[in-house]
Amino acid sequence: MRSNPPSPAFRKILIANRGEIALRIQRACRELGIVTVAVYSDADRAALHVLQSEEAYLLGPAPAAESYLRGDLILEIARRTSADAIHPGYGFLSENAEFAEACEFAGIKFIGPRASAMRALGSKTRARQAADAVGMPRTPGSTRALASLAEAYAVADEIRYPVMLKAAAGGGGKGMRAVTCCEDLKAAFEAAQSEAQRAFGSDEVYLEKLIESPRHIEIQVLADEHGNCLYLGERECSVQRRHQKVIEEAPSAVVDSALRQRMGEAAVRLVQSQGYTNAGTVEFLLDDQKNFYFLEMNTRLQVEHPVTELVTGLDLVHLQIHIALGEPLSLAQDDIHLRGHAIECRIYAEDPANGFIPSPGRITRLLQPGGPGIREDSGIYEGWVVPMDYDPMLSKLIAYAPTRELAIARLLRALDEYVIGGIRTNLSFFRRILSDDAFSAARIDTGYLDRLLAPSQSSPDSGESDDASSETAAVIGAALFESSRTAPATVTQPRASAWKSVARREGLRE
Amino acid sequence: MKLEIEIQGRLRTIELEQGAAPSQYRVNLDGQPLEVEARLLRPGVLSLLIAGRSHRVVLEGDVLPGDGSDPAIFWEGKRLPYRLEDQRSLKTRRAHTGGADGLKVIKASMPGRVVRILVGPGETVKANQGVVVIEAMKMQNELKSPKAGTVLEMRAIPGDTVTAGDVLAVIN
Repeated sequence: MRSNPPSPAFRKILIANRGEIALRIQRACRELGIVTVAVYSDADRAALHVLQSEEAYLLGPAPAAESYLRGDLILEIARRTSADAIHPGYGFLSENAEFAEACEFAGIKFIGPRASAMRALGSKTRARQAADAVGMPRTPGSTRALASLAEAYAVADEIRYPVMLKAAAGGGGKGMRAVTCCEDLKAAFEAAQSEAQRAFGSDEVYLEKLIESPRHIEIQVLADEHGNCLYLGERECSVQRRHQKVIEEAPSAVVDSALRQRMGEAAVRLVQSQGYTNAGTVEFLLDDQKNFYFLEMNTRLQVEHPVTELVTGLDLVHLQIHIALGEPLSLAQDDIHLRGHAIECRIYAEDPANGFIPSPGRITRLLQPGGPGIREDSGIYEGWVVPMDYDPMLSKLIAYAPTRELAIARLLRALDEYVIGGIRTNLSFFRRILSDDAFSAARIDTGYLDRLLAPSQSSPDSGESDDASSETAAVIGAALFESSRTAPATVTQPRASAWKSVARREGLRE
Repeated sequence: MKLEIEIQGRLRTIELEQGAAPSQYRVNLDGQPLEVEARLLRPGVLSLLIAGRSHRVVLEGDVLPGDGSDPAIFWEGKRLPYRLEDQRSLKTRRAHTGGADGLKVIKASMPGRVVRILVGPGETVKANQGVVVIEAMKMQNELKSPKAGTVLEMRAIPGDTVTAGDVLAVIN
């Protein structure tokens, strides 16, 4: 054992990301007295993560492949600015073992697991082998990439349809195909391979048994570089659309302390078996008998980490930095207590009334929510043009309250305060989900949103036919705005605009 | 002043008259008289007091949308596009041009980048056949021909940036 001197601090951290997560990491760095270096693409010169950083350097053109995925340029900037460490955030280079290795080689600390552990657990097929080695239950299916279509047929016949094809290097629903019968396997196999190749640079796909209407439950783990590992409870992310999480919460309404302990301890065994360090998430499917099956591991900080932060009272980014500095965890498993309930909504620039098509563009109006128990991790401002080049996440709206019921009420209240104009967003979609009886009763599984969105289910927002008097204020508001807009021609009073004079009198605008 | 505003599918007639104080309005909405106190808190954000009820009405943008779409307000969590009566007739006229003689245009459904052209000019297409693929925010959207016909004109060029409503192809 070493009796180590006080660990040296990082003086400067480069954040190799954009959007809300870059801001979230910057805030943690500032709180710890660490200088931040931002990187940005041509499309992001006016982004908040550039504005809020102490230093910021251009990477290149808008496409991610020419900017945020250019590990070589990012390392070069890290060297030039004498950054001690790189925080990759999520997405982009966060699960790229070559990049983690290049950082190690350059003597710049990658805030995440070592490349070897990332390879062992980040690849879905190798992670399934590791799960077998520690006796952790997993979905039936292959533990290696399928060598051929013939092998795919053989595995599918053995585990029986329906099956799921998945990219070994995948994430976010890319390279994933559900297959219900053998006639569809060939097309799905080829489509999954080419999609995986395009999205992840590897066409490795494997097959697993499709578990019908499971819940998605994941365990947050934290491991230091001295062999200590904790689990920080679970998150339930069953509310998904096209395999993308839409709402996440902690704790899960169906996980009791005994199940939490069994899943947590299994996750810790897996992580420790591979010498994994820093923050990570072990994902499971939970069937209706509450059997859990290992799904995959995410070797990074996750989008939904705030719900865990709120119910544990911990700051995961602070802890990531302490771990990266080589400090032992200052907490033991017995110190981890879950308190209250947290729910997160992923606010996207997409149009729920129009097939969820993306809606990049200028944010012409922004009113953000606040108040007790509301956290908004956002990367937007009024006047900003949301680029078309990256994923559509605008912000994460998170509510924390003593109970699940109150957290839902709090979110609904915050959604009423929230206005994003100029682009379409999914804010109204969250109102609908959070007002839904099945969601309130926590009757959710990964098929929940598909059922809610099925054509037979008419949206409560559409075809609204309540009496016209309810919109009185809306009509008057529109008329006042229009009268100010068209004032010179139409207003009978001598003033150019009665409206403007109000504003002037209030000293609010010229 | 008197305005006719179409909102939520209903045509509403509203008269505004300045009251005693500059922030007070006598309003007549579809024959119903109302006293309204209005304050612009900041550009686009309006506080209305109507018979003791407080309302926040937010205008979506300070300038009219450039793409010819309707302005909108946010009220009680709803986005409500609206239209002034005189604008409506203009809009109806606009919508009618270009649709004549069996010509159909394929317009960009969202702002994005053209990634693929699936048929060339002069080629025949079936109804619902994919014509152009555009991409935004990591999502691809295949635009399909609304009818069987011939591609009269292909305006989309791979790599080009388009905004919602741009005409990408013309089908005869």
